[in-house]
Amino acid sequence: MTPTTVRRINWVGGVFTVLTVIIAVLWAFPIYWGIVSSLKPEDEVVRPYIELWPETLTFRHYWFALTQTQIGSWYINSVATSVGVTVLTVSTSLFAGYAISQLRFPGRTILWWLILASFMVPTQVLIINHFVLMANMSLLNSWAGIILPQLIHPVIIIVYKQFFDQVPKDFREAAAMDNASEWNVLFKIYIPMNWGVTTALSIVTFIWAWNAFLWPFLAVTRTEMMTITVGITQVYDAFGVYYAQQLAAAVLAGIPVALAYLLFQRKVTQAITLSAGIKG
Amino acid sequence: MIDDISLEIASGELVVFLGPSGSGKSTLLRMIAGLETIDGGTLTIGGKRSEHLAPGQRDVAMVFQNYALYPHMSVRENMAFGLKNIRMATSEINRRVQEAARVLEMDALLERRPAQLSGGQRQRVAIGRAIVKEPAAFLFDEPLSNLDATLRVRTRVELAELHQRMKSTMVYVTHDQTEAMTLADRIVILNNCRIEQIGTPMDVYLYPSSRFVAGFVGSPGMNFLKAELSAADGKQIATLGNGSDVALSIDLPPGAYELGIRPEAVQVSATPAATTGKAAVVEKLGDRTLVHLHLDDGTSLTALDGGRSEVKPGDIVHLDFDISQLHLFDSDGVAHHAK
Repeated sequence: MTPTTVRRINWVGGVFTVLTVIIAVLWAFPIYWGIVSSLKPEDEVVRPYIELWPETLTFRHYWFALTQTQIGSWYINSVATSVGVTVLTVSTSLFAGYAISQLRFPGRTILWWLILASFMVPTQVLIINHFVLMANMSLLNSWAGIILPQLIHPVIIIVYKQFFDQVPKDFREAAAMDNASEWNVLFKIYIPMNWGVTTALSIVTFIWAWNAFLWPFLAVTRTEMMTITVGITQVYDAFGVYYAQQLAAAVLAGIPVALAYLLFQRKVTQAITLSAGIKG
Repeated sequence: MIDDISLEIASGELVVFLGPSGSGKSTLLRMIAGLETIDGGTLTIGGKRSEHLAPGQRDVAMVFQNYALYPHMSVRENMAFGLKNIRMATSEINRRVQEAARVLEMDALLERRPAQLSGGQRQRVAIGRAIVKEPAAFLFDEPLSNLDATLRVRTRVELAELHQRMKSTMVYVTHDQTEAMTLADRIVILNNCRIEQIGTPMDVYLYPSSRFVAGFVGSPGMNFLKAELSAADGKQIATLGNGSDVALSIDLPPGAYELGIRPEAVQVSATPAATTGKAAVVEKLGDRTLVHLHLDDGTSLTALDGGRSEVKPGDIVHLDFDISQLHLFDSDGVAHHAK
């Protein structure tokens, strides 16, 4: 490598670094702005100029969100429904992915095409049907009503199928020689060999479910049954909307997802890459 | 697709399926294992009709080419997995695993994962996983092909020792004729999904049934020369492409044949002999020398000379044939052996 090449690479690298930092700052600024605003008194929030740091630092809005709203119930509802969606989505997708990848049965190809085709249908198109169905089943304003329509995630099935496809068939044959039942092949071999993808998909599904807004917003009308994303829209009083209070509730709502991301950063990135690669 | 195969393997016998890629040897093994479907005919293992049984119920254990050790399980768990699936008592599982570990000298490896093992150690675990099942027959699918040359030789010897110690029935697939010759009680040579010959290693080597077997078995390979067979004075003469005559005793009608002779049956002679050739390449192997020659008509021939051979490239050498080791192959490739 000549000195000129070294210089050029460093220069290009420098430009990329600066660009990346600018994009990161642009991306992170609204989060910073939200957190800072939630720590300002309401009159500072609505000032017509930008103040990057609160003149008066206050935790009043957090105290309000924690004591004067039903945020505790919303947290519980969010945790329960997100865990429910995650467990049911991942387990059903795992079975479906395994069946399509490893078993031979009539209609397998058609089923696979149907799953692929379901990508064409945006969830929003189905939302009225879901609402009518849940209403008929008397499941509105219940955890089941929030969970059930959110279980449709073809991307998880596709990711599982791809991973199961990649397991060398020798393992399946060795298991057959070892007298393993289909159940044992799945639970003792295929799933343990793909723990990484199961963990990653569980985390990303949990984040999707936690952040879901449209369906929980429609399926729940009683305040105490709301999930936290819906609940924060209820942070107002008789005098109207208070941005700082709403932002404080939003920050509280985002904390579990932020923690999940910080704890499982690598897995989340892997899962997003996997699903994005398929979603295109 | 394998069709019309009839083969009987005696208890305690080590039979090697030998053949080139695509000859059907692995498919045949997998048919025995139950990993390929048998559409017609019967398969009997230990006196029990087995063609309709699931792989795990055939009382056979298989060692895969890539070992197929479950990567998330320890060596102990890998070996115990099959036994747990048939709900064997834990004490018996532990006894068998310990015994197999002792036989294969891998007691210290039992708690390791496959990723923490060398290629040779993985191979042992794969064999151990088969041993603990105490099956009626062991099936080996090219088990040494992933090992380096030194380890392959060592493991081959260990397998031979294991077979002698356990006296168990083994079916072994390989494309490596050295493995086949050194390990087998009998070799089954396959070509194009059919059996070409079944016999002991020396039978197959000395009396190949066909042109294919003669060419496939032996390294360096058999020499093949075009020959015209004629009868004169009650003797039969094979006239080679360069005009040299080779007298031999064989009951065949006159006509065009291919004459086959192994390099060790072609002797470099100091005095005028059956024919002459020009040395092209001389390979000194220490204990022996391979002399690659061209006859006058351009036919290539390899002769085996002593380790202290003085033949140099470019030399014209006299060649004699051990006529008791001559073979003639007719137009259908069928072998006829000289008396």
